[in-house]
Amino acid sequence: MKWRCALIQRWLPAYPDGDLPSFWRERIKSHLKGCPDCREELAGLEEVVRAVKTAPAPEPEPAFWDNFNRELHLKLAQSVPAPAPSRFFRMPYYLVGAPALAVLLLWVAFGYLKPDQPVLAPVPQVAKQEKALEQMAPPPQVAKQEKALEKMAPTPQAAAPVPEATGSVVLVTKNGQELSPDDDPDTLLGDLDTTLAGMSEKEKEDFLKQVRQHEKDGSCIRKSSTIFSA
Amino acid sequence: MTDPQLVALAQQGDLPAFEELVKKYQREIYGLAYRLVLDAEEAKDLAQQAFLQAFVHIRGFRQQAQFRTWLFRIAINQCYNYLKSKKKFGDPVDCEEFEVVGEGSPEEDLVAQEEHRRLYAALDHLPAKQRAVITLKLEQGLSYDEISAVLGGTAGAARVNYCQALKTLKKYLQNEDEHEVAVRSYPKMVARVSRR
Repeated sequence: MKWRCALIQRWLPAYPDGDLPSFWRERIKSHLKGCPDCREELAGLEEVVRAVKTAPAPEPEPAFWDNFNRELHLKLAQSVPAPAPSRFFRMPYYLVGAPALAVLLLWVAFGYLKPDQPVLAPVPQVAKQEKALEQMAPPPQVAKQEKALEKMAPTPQAAAPVPEATGSVVLVTKNGQELSPDDDPDTLLGDLDTTLAGMSEKEKEDFLKQVRQHEKDGSCIRKSSTIFSA
Repeated sequence: MTDPQLVALAQQGDLPAFEELVKKYQREIYGLAYRLVLDAEEAKDLAQQAFLQAFVHIRGFRQQAQFRTWLFRIAINQCYNYLKSKKKFGDPVDCEEFEVVGEGSPEEDLVAQEEHRRLYAALDHLPAKQRAVITLKLEQGLSYDEISAVLGGTAGAARVNYCQALKTLKKYLQNEDEHEVAVRSYPKMVARVSRR
């Protein structure tokens, strides 16, 4: 097949009904005059069209339509037309998204107009503290201390709500109240990381002894011990 | 009454007006469904389902398009859903369902029935979209613009689908002809060989 015939035959099925751009119609017409292969192809396609048109879907008997209408009537009688969609949903899709965009823009603008109130919360500086702690405490010792802390802490205390892994130990009284660092300056219950970061090994052991003592006294219990797992 | 008047009445909940529309288009919708699913009973169910959906959502029809085109679109969507859910693509056609009642002699009826069978077997090889395009174009006489409004896409895409569908049909029908010639010539060849 010549390349010209291949090009023409792409459009050939749509040629008989004339629903083609005028350029292609004229081109196919002039090509068919001199090309028997394409004429044969066109005759084959017209034969297929004739076969489809002369073999419509089988027409059912009248009883079929009686049954069809009766069944459909019952179904229609049981159904109710849905209400027309509201005008909001008739809007183009890009306009439906406009209110959401307006709210977003207002929120951002409001954040910029009030520079003293940050739009996003400041990032906690726990990560820095954790790095400092890692530098201070080598891994093997950390494991030992963690085991020691686990021995000190019996299982019921683990049931207490665990704070997020911020690398700090929180001590609470038996009533469930958290002790703030100001309550007892000796134990420094709040931000333990910074305290431990500045201590030598001996000072750390002393500090942990104090913690154990508090737990034995029953004045406070350990709420979590995620300090060394960070 | 014209279609827009009947549709306006149906939108107010007038069931007889809608049933008038049903009677007007039931044959076309059934024929379309039949061509797509190639099963008489399923076509009946799908046509009923299409009319039911049209009635339920008739208040959403804004009369910007023709009611007929809108109905075609609903019916085709129903058929697509059916074909997807049942995974019917490529299932063999049950030829026993076709009953071509001819007016000619029994021999002519037999030939017509055979042609019918061949055509539907070839149609079964087409993808559902091309089958829909063929039906809308050749049976319902829709233009490519109207077909694109029913099926989505552009008029150019509808034309390409139509051309492709016709070529595929031609190929399958020709192949079957060749196959038939080969099968029919076989006894003659056997006779010739046996004579030798």
